[in-house]
Amino acid sequence: MHLHKYEKIWLIFGISSLVVFLCVLGYGAFWKGTHPQSHGVTIDPNNVEAYEAFKPENLGLTKVDDNRYIVNIVASAFNYDLGKDENGTAVRTIRIPKGSTVLFQLTTKDVVHGFNVAGTNVNMMVEPGYISSYEAVMNKPGEYTVVCNEYCGVGHHMMYATVEVYE
Amino acid sequence: MDQTNKKMHSSDEQESPSLKGTLISVLLLGSFLIVSWFGVYALFISR
Repeated sequence: MHLHKYEKIWLIFGISSLVVFLCVLGYGAFWKGTHPQSHGVTIDPNNVEAYEAFKPENLGLTKVDDNRYIVNIVASAFNYDLGKDENGTAVRTIRIPKGSTVLFQLTTKDVVHGFNVAGTNVNMMVEPGYISSYEAVMNKPGEYTVVCNEYCGVGHHMMYATVEVYE
Repeated sequence: MDQTNKKMHSSDEQESPSLKGTLISVLLLGSFLIVSWFGVYALFISR
């Protein structure tokens, strides 16, 4: 088969780009252990309290070690349940010191929700029946708004919280 | 007879078309894709 010289150039370029892409993908998946935020960890959406992390007393921010935190949240239309403070009012803001590693764990009781700490890489879908999790290092101080970015119903725009990263 | 000979002759020596423009546009598209990959990667790393 006759191939034009230029045709060979872009075929080599295209195929090697594909090889590089697949190598990056394989490296990320098998060496670095990256996976989708929701990857088959299941839960009964009608009984999320049965799962240790989503018991009402375990919701919200928990310090597990120096600079390591876990945030457990149950999403539902149209609220992020971050637990209650000592006065019994619902928590709306989470305060985390700069440089900490935070594991966000979420599930939903009803429909598909989103969870996006706007301006960071913490961005995931929350599906009923599954646990979504994402670990992030919060390096930049500031006040971040958490928004639902999957349309979940009439109150979708009311669904928000705040994450504050302080020095 | 003459005419058929001529025809055959010209089809044998068919010049390959110039693909310079195609090469340039393919490379432009390729470099756009690569720049956007690295752009997105940089955004991911910086956040």
